[in-house]
Amino acid sequence: MSGFLAVLAAVPITLLVTIGAFAVGIVLALGLTFMRRSKQPWLRFPAQAFVDLARGIPPIVWLLFLYFGLGMGVIKLSPLQAGVLGLGVVSAGYLAEIFRGGLLAVHKGQYEAGEALGLSAWTRYSKIIAPQAFKAMLPALATYFIGLVKDSSIASVIGVKEMVFTANQYARRSDDGIYTFFLAAAIYIAVSIPFAVVARRMETKLQESAK
Amino acid sequence: MEERKRYSGKVDIGLKSPKYLVELAKVDKHFGSNHVLKGVSLRVKPGEVCSIIGPSGAGKSTLLRCVNLLESPDSGNMVVAGQYVDLARPLDKRSLLQLRRNVGMVFQSFNLFPHLSVLENISLPQRRVLGRSAEDAKAKSLELLERVGLADKAESFPSKISGGQQQRVAIARALALEPKAMLFDEPTSALDPELAQEVLGVMKEVAASGMTMLVVTHEMNFARNVGNHLVVMENGSIIEEGDPEQIMTEPKLERTKQFLSAVINH
Ligand SMILES: Nc1ncnc2c1ncn2[C@@H]1O[C@H](COP(=O)(O)OP(=O)(O)O)[C@@H](O)[C@H]1O
Ligand SMILES: [Mg+2]
Repeated sequence: MSGFLAVLAAVPITLLVTIGAFAVGIVLALGLTFMRRSKQPWLRFPAQAFVDLARGIPPIVWLLFLYFGLGMGVIKLSPLQAGVLGLGVVSAGYLAEIFRGGLLAVHKGQYEAGEALGLSAWTRYSKIIAPQAFKAMLPALATYFIGLVKDSSIASVIGVKEMVFTANQYARRSDDGIYTFFLAAAIYIAVSIPFAVVARRMETKLQESAK
Repeated sequence: MEERKRYSGKVDIGLKSPKYLVELAKVDKHFGSNHVLKGVSLRVKPGEVCSIIGPSGAGKSTLLRCVNLLESPDSGNMVVAGQYVDLARPLDKRSLLQLRRNVGMVFQSFNLFPHLSVLENISLPQRRVLGRSAEDAKAKSLELLERVGLADKAESFPSKISGGQQQRVAIARALALEPKAMLFDEPTSALDPELAQEVLGVMKEVAASGMTMLVVTHEMNFARNVGNHLVVMENGSIIEEGDPEQIMTEPKLERTKQFLSAVINH
């Protein structure tokens, strides 16, 4: 029972890593999307390279690099900081792809109508394109976020005291062994379900409002 | 960005404004190696309804889209509502927005914003482009919806109304910005004949109000009865232009005759 409570107490850290990485990912992905759509090759190419590296290098390597690699230099990151940043970088790569898909889902005529009306680029994107793109990419965003709840466990490798780290520590110290990991699995599912429900509600609501 | 010179009439670049509201001189446009506009010149007087006809691929849409710079031509000059544009050079943002403020456009595929109600579709651009208050924009929108016969659809979403109704809303949305000229790119081609008639009726009323209009169309009755300037395009050039009645009864070119009989008999 104390194993269960210990893992449960680590849920806030798991959520912190997940939400932190997702937030870092969203902010970076917005910048990357803007750069990738630029007419300037010197903005487009680095952004594309970043997306490819973020997705092409295993997340665990990103974390080890940011924690130990940067640690050797001037910047010293805590495990939590390195975990959020590392998973944030990886998320940025995937989210940038999701944003690209969302923008592609908006009909070309929508961009043209906005331009022909003389709307500024800011108004075109914020009022016309983004709401439609968001609707198109909501399922993919929700899937990615829920995946990230589980993938945040990778941060245990650099010593972030989230659920898997805690379960592992407890399993070694007690006789419960593998049983602790079953408890952790059950808690992951319990944490994911509410997010899935909220995502589905939002989708239904968006479908209804525009149709 | 450099200050653009306004057209003064003193520089001789082959343009004769301000007698004309829209004037294009030697407009060239390539898509890759495809030469789509071959030095096209066109003059449209204030209040004129200029219909542009010709076979598919002639460059009609491209020409129209050059007027509000949805396409950027390679070279040429243009004056729209007194604003001079050197088409060989990229236009700065402010001049581009000013040009688009003077020119409204209606598309074949309507392009209403699906996530906004009919009222919001017409009001949002007024607020953002003209800086109108929410109240003023709404009043103007309702007035225009009345004018296109759709006052009862203000709260509907675009997907809930017919194609003909959507196109009338699109016309209202463009008119709400009080443009000096309106571009129509095959506004009725996606519609059943009956719904097309509703839209043509609204366009006729807009023409009667004195709006300068450039209309790419296959509706020969509209071109003949409402239009007062007809342009025939083929293969990136204007091959014949003038009075619609004259061209339709006695076309100068054999090619025009062929095209007209193909359209009218189909
Ligand atoms: N965005 C584009 N990219 C490449 N080619 C294009 C594009 N738009 C039009 N074209 C080509 O330009 C030519 C003229 O097209 P368009 O102006 O649409 O003709 P029309 O409206 O008279 O049918 C066609 O050969 C068409 O394939
Ligand atoms: Mg066309």
